[in-house]
Amino acid sequence: MEPWAIGAESTIFKTEQWGRPIILKWRPEKPYLLKEIDEQLRRTRTSRECKMLTYARLLGVPTPAVHWTNLASCTIAMDYIEGRQLKLMAGTLSRSLLHELCYRFGQSIALMHRGNVVHGDPTTSNVLIDGKSRLWMVDFGLAEWNATLEMKGVDLHLIHRALETTHWDQQEDMLAGVLEGYMSLLGSDAELAFSRMKSIRERGRYH
Amino acid sequence: MPLICLGLEGTAHSFGAGVVSGEGRVLSNCWDMVSPQEGGIHPREASRHHSDMGPDIIKKALTEAGVAFRDIHLIAFSRGPGLGPCLRATATMARSLALKLGVPLVGVNHCVAHIEIGCLESGFRDPVTVYVSGGNTQVIAFAGNRFRTFGETLDIAIGNMLDVLGRIVGMRFPAGPGIEKEAEKGENYHSLPYSVKGMDVSYSGMLTAARRLYSEGVALSDLCYSVQETAFGMLAEVTERAIAHTKKTEILLTGGVARNKRLGEILTGVANRHGAAFHTVSPPLAGDQGAMIAWTGILQHSAGDKLDVADSHVRPKWRTDEQDITWRASS
Ligand SMILES: Nc1ncnc2c1ncn2[C@@H]1O[C@H](COP(=O)(O)OP(=O)(O)O)[C@@H](O)[C@H]1O
Ligand SMILES: [Mg+2]
Repeated sequence: MEPWAIGAESTIFKTEQWGRPIILKWRPEKPYLLKEIDEQLRRTRTSRECKMLTYARLLGVPTPAVHWTNLASCTIAMDYIEGRQLKLMAGTLSRSLLHELCYRFGQSIALMHRGNVVHGDPTTSNVLIDGKSRLWMVDFGLAEWNATLEMKGVDLHLIHRALETTHWDQQEDMLAGVLEGYMSLLGSDAELAFSRMKSIRERGRYH
Repeated sequence: MPLICLGLEGTAHSFGAGVVSGEGRVLSNCWDMVSPQEGGIHPREASRHHSDMGPDIIKKALTEAGVAFRDIHLIAFSRGPGLGPCLRATATMARSLALKLGVPLVGVNHCVAHIEIGCLESGFRDPVTVYVSGGNTQVIAFAGNRFRTFGETLDIAIGNMLDVLGRIVGMRFPAGPGIEKEAEKGENYHSLPYSVKGMDVSYSGMLTAARRLYSEGVALSDLCYSVQETAFGMLAEVTERAIAHTKKTEILLTGGVARNKRLGEILTGVANRHGAAFHTVSPPLAGDQGAMIAWTGILQHSAGDKLDVADSHVRPKWRTDEQDITWRASS
């Protein structure tokens, strides 16, 4: 089968099952890494992603439904989302729709944080927008349970940085949308997370 | 005679002077380093070293390049980021030379210079740069007229982690080469905290765990082997994330830690998986040195950049993404 996409960690295949398109997310061996580390990472992340795709949906975050998981081959079969990465769409949208999508991105992250989980890699590559402008979150391999304030602050810091590196010409608007959406669900807890985000950003900047 | 630029680098413990020509030939590259004492670099001591040694290093660079002071068309200096006293000592030399010779002065960003000299050497046009040294761990790529930091360390730099570990186990500074040598003999992997957050890494937990393993009597070779495999595995992962996210097709490895063979091997594997070209900057151009400052000064100068002596204050916290990269085609 031809890969449909090469991700950072994974190779993605698109296929069919019972007449419906599905995605196979496969974490291949990486011969350049130490075998012990590679195996440990591939297995824990596959397991974590499978559980978190479902758990995040329970918290109210739209995620593709998981059909099956094979921990031996490190493969997850999930619904195919007919859509595009927010990263690729941001430059093509009206200002108000972009704001709306970022607002919902912020809300999705807030729903996870309220449930004390973090996404772990919340870039705009991992937010998909479908044909009806619905937003979906994918790529939960770095997600974590029992999230502390620090971990939530890091999650927000990663969003902030993804916006400034990838959407430099729209970053203010997009960040405002994300933070408003986040705040709309978390109220004063959001303030704590924002100030932690700021201190994390400062830490990286002494050099 | 082509354009001749003298570049002065002095952001931390090294002082360097390099002479580069307008067409990108490195004519000389001389430097000297003050060894950090217990607890890291002493900024004042390092700055005194730069002021004391600077003039001789500059003379040596000119002699090796076969040029005289009057042949110099341009003075470039490392304006930041770095330790304030070191930056000021270096800037003072650069200013007085520029005034004495009556030539323009250009202020260069240290991190940008690492990337540009790497591009000169490799012929790369638009790489994802993995910059790893005693003070820096950054994954940088060009986007929207700036070099932007896609990932970095959330706490200590990888080189710093290796040096501190080296001190704990009684190695000389810098400890990178000693650790690499020990690691080659390592056979047993001991699990260490592997900490990747998006495109960021964290090394402080790993350092604590490594210290504990050492005190528990784990063989030095196994310890170094485990530290390298874990630390470099983390770098491989954030590099892959940056490549997958930016879709760039070149990976450039630079900075003092780029000397490590195993790191180069791992990143070669990353590049292969993503169909990207890979280049490790050669040791003389990968460390902190003046040639990179001179070459970047030439690029900036060619784009019309110049700095009045009166406005040439140093920028200790100058971030990589704060400078418009006027000499590169916008992407
Ligand atoms: N269920 C899905 N439906 C549609 N596209 C998907 C789906 N899962 C992943 N993708 C696409 O594949 C890319 C890589 O998948 P991702 O889960 O992010 O893997 P990686 O961890 O390797 O980045 C995503 O950015 C997205 O474009
Ligand atoms: Mg992804």
